[in-house]
Amino acid sequence: MERLIAVWCPALLHEGERGEEVREFARIVSVAESFCPWVDTVRLGVCALPSRGPSRFFGGESMVVAKLAAALAAGAPGAGEGDGGGVYVGAADGLFAAVLAARSRLTVPRGGTADFLAPWSVAVLRRTELAVTLQRLGVRTLGQFAALPARHVLARFGTDGAACHRVASGSEGELLGLRDPGVDRRPGVARGDEDEAERPHQPGFFGGRSAADVRAASSFARVQDRLGVEEVLVGRLQGGRSPAERARLVPWGSRGTAGPDSTRSERATARRGDRAAPAPAPWPGRIPAPSPVRVLHSPVAVEVVDRSGCPVRVNGRGLLASEPALLSVDGGPWQEVAAWAGPWPATERWWSTRRRRARLQVVTGAGMATLLSAERERWWMEGVYE
Amino acid sequence: MKRPQLPPDLAARARPVSTAAVRLLPLSAPLGPLFPDGALRRGTTTVVTGVPGLGATTLALALLAAPSTSGSWCGIVGLADPGVAAMAELGIDLSRVVLVPRPRGGWAEAVGELLGGVDVLLVRPPGSCRAPLARRLAARSRERRTALVVLVDRVGDWPEAPDLVLRAAAASWRGVGRGHGYLRGRLAEVQVVGRRSADRTTSCRLWLPSGTGCVAAVAAPAPADPEPAPAPEPDTAPERVAGAVSGVG
Repeated sequence: MERLIAVWCPALLHEGERGEEVREFARIVSVAESFCPWVDTVRLGVCALPSRGPSRFFGGESMVVAKLAAALAAGAPGAGEGDGGGVYVGAADGLFAAVLAARSRLTVPRGGTADFLAPWSVAVLRRTELAVTLQRLGVRTLGQFAALPARHVLARFGTDGAACHRVASGSEGELLGLRDPGVDRRPGVARGDEDEAERPHQPGFFGGRSAADVRAASSFARVQDRLGVEEVLVGRLQGGRSPAERARLVPWGSRGTAGPDSTRSERATARRGDRAAPAPAPWPGRIPAPSPVRVLHSPVAVEVVDRSGCPVRVNGRGLLASEPALLSVDGGPWQEVAAWAGPWPATERWWSTRRRRARLQVVTGAGMATLLSAERERWWMEGVYE
Repeated sequence: MKRPQLPPDLAARARPVSTAAVRLLPLSAPLGPLFPDGALRRGTTTVVTGVPGLGATTLALALLAAPSTSGSWCGIVGLADPGVAAMAELGIDLSRVVLVPRPRGGWAEAVGELLGGVDVLLVRPPGSCRAPLARRLAARSRERRTALVVLVDRVGDWPEAPDLVLRAAAASWRGVGRGHGYLRGRLAEVQVVGRRSADRTTSCRLWLPSGTGCVAAVAAPAPADPEPAPAPEPDTAPERVAGAVSGVG
């Protein structure tokens, strides 16, 4: 179980109309971040930071707790009073015990979690139904609850009750639902770290991620929350002939992208891979650079006709049967064909589903260049050079 | 009495480097002359516009190339069907660019979120953007010091007065004939209209893209174009942009 230092601000637990609480909490989080970069905003008014790193730096956990409490109280609006500006700091094993320790301004020694939790009421578990039942059974404190045999708790109260039991007995650090998922993003939005935003990209220690990386990753994750994972994408290059085949869009955070959960070595390979990517193996028949800036997700039907109005075909030798003169995209108005290049025939996948296609670059009279492909006597628009 | 000769590099050395330089994002060399500082300034809005086909999309994507390779995070919202191969050819580091091609109803939300996370955000609004929304997004980009690049078909589609307008005014493709050759490059004319420190109207000729797929400067002022350039777009209003200064500061 990780040893945590928790900060508890009772005045900031609920967001008011004007959002002052969020701003004040954002300030507290940024003060805490000056002690340790991995500050976890548990919910509005509660944040936690790991104890180990700062303790080694500041010379002991009690020093960190004292310094943090002093730093937080110094900037608080009601500074000077004896209550430390309404900010409570404490340390214990696991998040649940650490928050309770913060409420009593205590530092619970390592291994003393169960003893510390024992006198607290079962109501602090925030499971109303469980607490009511337990109190009717005469089990009023966490210590009494923890003393019950685990298998009986599981049989009577189910998996959630068993999780509460593990937390009460100090063998698990965190209760499901202790966090407020909505709050986590708000302090981050309210935090106005302009100086940091402007700082050029300093890599984190030991090849870790810089603050900009973390900020970018969290904003991508929030967009994924809103729109769906498949909507936030990263481009990858791969071998192929057509522009559509040469690239692939993968969701942000999937394997190999520098996503939030990727390991350091994965990020390194992702970085290396993209450096190496512009020189892939040769693909004979590939359309040379420049590639179309828009590659259509689903090709659009195009009609190409010659001077006499007959559709232009690609014959068996891979040549145009007649000169293209007019072009209509998706049933739209006819546009004059000013220049064209190709066709470049390609027979692909002859071993399975054979596809015979011929590609043609066309520039219309208005200066719009498109990449067309002919397949089974029909023309499709694959890309646009916008 | 003659003053002592000052070392020639003294001015460069005495110039404050940290304060101003961190507000600027690098740009690839051919694009430098388009911008007042020779670089993309954080917190500003740049509108890239032009008739489809004249290279506006290429120009907008090219603005991401140097920032992404220098380690900045970039985002692209609303650009449906992006050509990833073309982006790589433009010199964009794909591992630093996140795309939201089809945000549908969540367009404004996605833009708002990403403005807080990336350094350069390329945005293609769906149709025209409502004025209050545009104002809010521009304000957020200023607050978060993100360079916002807006790609629209007409300047009026972005109602907020931008800091700089780049307009792909005319273009002609090279390398392709009637049935021979292949597309080797597009010679484009880009007009720049700015305000505040960039209050000027200039135009510049660029390969957009060149034969390797990246943006390149035209070596010499090109002689009269043998091919007739397409007529300039009637509905771009540089006066309107230059005049609409008030309200944003």
